[in-house]
Amino acid sequence: MISFNKSILISFLLIFNCALAQDKFTLSGTITDAGSNETLIGVNVIFPDLQTGTNTNEYGFYSISLPEGTYKMQISYLGYSIMTETLTFSEDKTINYKLIESTESLNEIIIEQDIERLNIKKPQMSVNKLSINTIKQIPVVLGEVDIIKSITLLPGVTNAGEGSSGFNVRGGAADQNLILLDEAIIFNSSHLFGFFSVFNPDAIKDIKLYKGGIPAKYGGRVSSVLDIYQKDGNSNEFHMNGGIGIVSSRLLVEGPIKKEKGSFLVAGRSSYAHLFLPLFDLDNVAYFYDLNAKLSYRLNAKNSVFLSGYFGRDVFNISDSFENTYGNTVVNFRWNHLFSDKLFSNMSAIYSDYYYGLNLNFVGFDWNSGIQNFNFKYDFKHYLTNDLKLEYGLNSIYYKFNPGDIEPSDESSGINSFKLTNKYAFENAIYIDAEHIVSDKLALSYGFRVSSFLRLGQDELNVYENDNPLNFNDELQIYEKANPIGSESFDRSNVIKSFLNFEPRFSLAYQLNEKSSIKASYNRMTQYLHLLSNTTSPTPLDIWTPSGKYAKPQLLDQVAIGYFRTFKDNLYSLEVESFYKKIQNRIDYIDGADLIANNAIEQVILNGRARAYGLEVLFRKNEGKFKGWLAYTLSKSEQQTPGRNTTETGINDGEWYNTAFDRTHDISITASYKLNNKWTFGSNFLFQTGRPVTFPNGQYEFNGINIPNYESRNSSRLPTYHRLDLSATYNPSPDSTKEWKGEWVFGIYNMYNRRNAASINFGQNRMTGQNEATRLAIFGIIPSVTYNFKF
Amino acid sequence: MKKYLYIIVVLLMYSCEDVIDVDLNTIEPKLVVDASLNWFKNTTGNDQEIKLTLTAPYFDNEIPPATGAQVTVSNTGDDLFVFTEESNTGIYKNNTFVPQINETYNLEIIYQSEIYNATETLKSVVDIDFVEQNDEGGFSGDETELKAFYTDPADEENYYFFEFLNDIPEVPSLEIYDDQFTNGNQIFGFFTEEELETGDLVTIRNYGVSERFYEFMFILLQQNSTDGGGPFQTQPATVRGNCINTSNPDNFPLGYFRVSEATELIYTVQ
Repeated sequence: MISFNKSILISFLLIFNCALAQDKFTLSGTITDAGSNETLIGVNVIFPDLQTGTNTNEYGFYSISLPEGTYKMQISYLGYSIMTETLTFSEDKTINYKLIESTESLNEIIIEQDIERLNIKKPQMSVNKLSINTIKQIPVVLGEVDIIKSITLLPGVTNAGEGSSGFNVRGGAADQNLILLDEAIIFNSSHLFGFFSVFNPDAIKDIKLYKGGIPAKYGGRVSSVLDIYQKDGNSNEFHMNGGIGIVSSRLLVEGPIKKEKGSFLVAGRSSYAHLFLPLFDLDNVAYFYDLNAKLSYRLNAKNSVFLSGYFGRDVFNISDSFENTYGNTVVNFRWNHLFSDKLFSNMSAIYSDYYYGLNLNFVGFDWNSGIQNFNFKYDFKHYLTNDLKLEYGLNSIYYKFNPGDIEPSDESSGINSFKLTNKYAFENAIYIDAEHIVSDKLALSYGFRVSSFLRLGQDELNVYENDNPLNFNDELQIYEKANPIGSESFDRSNVIKSFLNFEPRFSLAYQLNEKSSIKASYNRMTQYLHLLSNTTSPTPLDIWTPSGKYAKPQLLDQVAIGYFRTFKDNLYSLEVESFYKKIQNRIDYIDGADLIANNAIEQVILNGRARAYGLEVLFRKNEGKFKGWLAYTLSKSEQQTPGRNTTETGINDGEWYNTAFDRTHDISITASYKLNNKWTFGSNFLFQTGRPVTFPNGQYEFNGINIPNYESRNSSRLPTYHRLDLSATYNPSPDSTKEWKGEWVFGIYNMYNRRNAASINFGQNRMTGQNEATRLAIFGIIPSVTYNFKF
Repeated sequence: MKKYLYIIVVLLMYSCEDVIDVDLNTIEPKLVVDASLNWFKNTTGNDQEIKLTLTAPYFDNEIPPATGAQVTVSNTGDDLFVFTEESNTGIYKNNTFVPQINETYNLEIIYQSEIYNATETLKSVVDIDFVEQNDEGGFSGDETELKAFYTDPADEENYYFFEFLNDIPEVPSLEIYDDQFTNGNQIFGFFTEEELETGDLVTIRNYGVSERFYEFMFILLQQNSTDGGGPFQTQPATVRGNCINTSNPDNFPLGYFRVSEATELIYTVQ
C-alpha cells in the first residue's frame, strides 16, 4: 500500500517537472521584522511590471522565478511600511528583507491595488486570517484577549454559548476542528470550561482559519483547520512585555541567544487562584495557567531549527471534596531545510498529550484519563515556476488512548480499582497539492491526500453475537446493550481494523475583472477520531476514541462557491460564499447513554449522518481611522440517525433534527475607531438565532417526583442572543522615546446587560414541589480594565 | 460520575440563574404507570398499591388520575392478584399479594379498552449496615451529609434504588447505584441537605432493582434535575419504561412496573 502511494506521488511529480526548463532566475529569501528579526507570514512580494508576485510561507520564506531583466519590486505587509526596490536579474539571488513596522502615524500608507488583486486571484477560499493586533482590539469579557472568541465573530463560526468549550464552523461540531499550535494538535482549546481559550495572545504570531477548500496538507478533522503559529522570539534585543488584568496576568520574555541567529521566548499566564471566591461563599480554588516556550536557531542560510513547548493546566478544588486537573502538553522540534532556492522543507517531530485527572475525596477515588500522541510530519513546498507551486509531504501519528482508570484514594474507600482498556492507533497520510495559474484569469489548486488508519491490538476487545453490540427491543421500541459473548486480546503489533481513504481537494479562482473574482472548491476529508460527548458542548471529561470495528471514520464532502470583490482601491472588500456539506458516519448516542467510564462505548452508539448548508457574507473596511467588518451567516445544520433496518426507530424516530450548533441567522459587527494617538475605541455587536433545544411537552408523576416528558429532539429554540461590547485603549504617551511603554485597556462586555440564556432547564423545585423553568444567563454587564506593558 | 462535573459547573454559575415563563407545547394525555410493588423486610408484603395517572401540561399543579381501569398482577404460578380502585382516585389496591425473591410478575391493565402489559422480576436487597453523618459542610459549606452504608454481594451484579425522605424538601431525594466499581465492597448511598437540624428524622429506603430499572431511572433522574443544565446537559428524550400497549403500540404508556425487596432505616440527625 505504501509503495502504491509512492508511485502516485512520483508520477505526479514527473508530470510537472517536464514544464520546468526555462531561462529564469530565482529570487528567494526570508522576510523578517526589522526590530525583532521575527519571521513574517504572508508578506506580499510583488513585481508590478510583470503582474506577478508571491508571498512568504509559515516560516517567512519566499521564492519567485523571473526572466532576465530589471524590475521594480514591492514588499508589503499589513502594519508595515512598504518597501520598494529595483532589482536586476542575471543570476539566482538570495536576499533577506527586513520590514519596518509602520509608526502609529495617521498618514497610513495606502496599499496599492496590485496586492489585493493577487488575493482575489488565489484559488484558496473560505479562509480567514486575523492578525494578533486585530484580535487585541476586539472587546472581550473580563478583558481577556481570546483567540477562540475572536474567530466566532467571523462568518460561519459560532460557539455553543457563553461558558461552553470550543467553536463550531459551518454547522460542524467542536471536535471536528483541527487546532494546530506550531503544527502540534491541541485536543482541548479551553480553560475553565470554555470561559477562556488556552492560547496566550502575547505568544501568538499569526492565526488562519480554513472553513472550506482545505488544502491537502491538512487532514484528520472534517470541519475546519485553525492554524496557529507562535512567535520565534526577538533575536536582536532582550524585551519583556506583559499585562495585568482582572482575571489573569501575563508575562513574556524574549531575546537573542546569538544575535541575528538564535532567540528564545518564554511566556507565562496565570489566573488568580481564587477566581470565583468573591462570588460564592465557598472554600474553593479555581485557576488556570499556561506556559509557552520556544528556542529558534538559524544554523546557516539553508537550515533553521526550532524547539517549542506548551504546557497548560486548569485546577479546581472545592472544599477538599473535589479536585480536578486537566490540560495539554506539547513538545515540538522542527527543522527547516532549503534543498534549493525553490524547494523549502520542514520536518516536525511532535509529542503532545491531553490529561484529565479527578480526585473525589467524598466518594473516595482518583480518576485519570488522557490521550498521548507522537506526530511526525515532513512537508515540502516546491516553487516549480511562478505558475506552478507544489506542496507535498507525509504525516504519521501514533496514538495511545487511556479512556480512564479508577483508583481508590485510600484504604477505607469502597471503590475497587478499575482500568478501562487502553486503545492504540496509527494514522498515516501522504499528500500533494498544486497551485496552478493557468491563465491571467484562471488559477487552480488541486491535489489529494491519501490517509490510512490502523487500529492496533488491544486487550479485551468485546465480541458480540453477529457483531452487533446494540440490540433493538422491538416490543418496547428502545435500544438495549447487547451482552458480549466473549472478548479477544490482541498483541499491539496486530492490526484489528484498518481504513484507507482517498481525499481529493480542488479549488479554482476565475477573475472577472480587476476588482472581482469567483471561486469554487470541493474537498473530501476523513476524521478517524471521535470525541465521545452527548452534551451540547464538549466537557473536559469527554474522551477521544479511535475509529474501529464499530465506529467508522467520519467522511466529509464539501462544496463551496464564492464571489469576491474589492472597492475603492481595496478600501472596502466584499466576500460572499455559499457552502453545502455532508458528513457520513457521524456518531450519535442512544437516549440516556452514559459515556463516562464506559468500557463498551459500542453498546451505546449508532452511526448517523450530518449535513449543513448556508450563505456567508463578509464586508470589510480595511483601512483608515475607522476599520471593521460586518459578517452575516444564514445557515442550517442537521443530523439524522435512522434505524439500521426497517423495524428500528433510530434516534429521534429516524427524523432529521437540528444540531445544537444550528443558527439560522448570525450577525456580527466589529469596528474600531482610532480617535488620535492616545485613544482607540473598539466595539462589537452580535445577534444570533437562539440555540436549538428540547423542551418538555408534558409532565407526569413517578415515584413521588414530577418527570418532564420531552418533545422530539431540538425542536424548540432558546430566545435570540444579542449583545454589545465596547472597549477603549489608552496610550498615555504614544510619542515617548522611553523604553517602557504602557497602555490601558478598558472594556464593557454586554453593555445593555441582556440576560442571554445559555440554557433553560426544567425541573421541580425541591422545596415547593413546583415545576419551574430556570434560565441560566452567564454574563451580565461586565466592566474590565487591563494594563499592558512592554520594554 | 458526570454528575460531579455538573455540581462544579452549577456552583460556578449558581448566581446567574432565574426562574422564567416559557410557552410550551402539550401532548395528548398518555397513561402513566407508577407500579412499584415493595416487599419490606420482615413484613408479609401482602398490601400493595398501584397508581395510574395521566400526563398533564408541564406547569399544571394537578395530575389527573386514570380511573376506571382493571388492574391485575400474576406470577408464574398462575396466581392472580386483582387490584381494585379506591373510589376514583386512580389508586388501585390489593392485600393478598405474595412476594417471592426472583419470581417473575406480570402486570396487566385494561384502560379505556386498550390492554397494557409489563413484566418484571422481584430483586433482593441487602440491609443498610449503618449511617455516617458528616457536618463538615460538603460542597456549599453548610450542608449535612449522610452516607447509608451497605455491603454489596460479590457474586452477582446488583442495582440499587435509594429513597431519602424527610420533612424539609417537598420532593424525595432519589439515587440509583450499580456495583460496577464497588462489587463486593461496603459502600454507601449519599444524601445531602442544607437545612437538616439535630433531631430531624430522615427515612432511608433501599430497593433491589433490575438493570432495566436502573437504566430507566438513570435517564429519568438526569432529565428531572433542576441542576445539571447548561452546556453540559445531555439530550433529553421521552423515556420508555417496561410497559407496552399491546392493543395500540403507538399509544405507549409512560412509567414503570417495578417489583423489589426493600429495606428501611429511620435515622435521627445527630
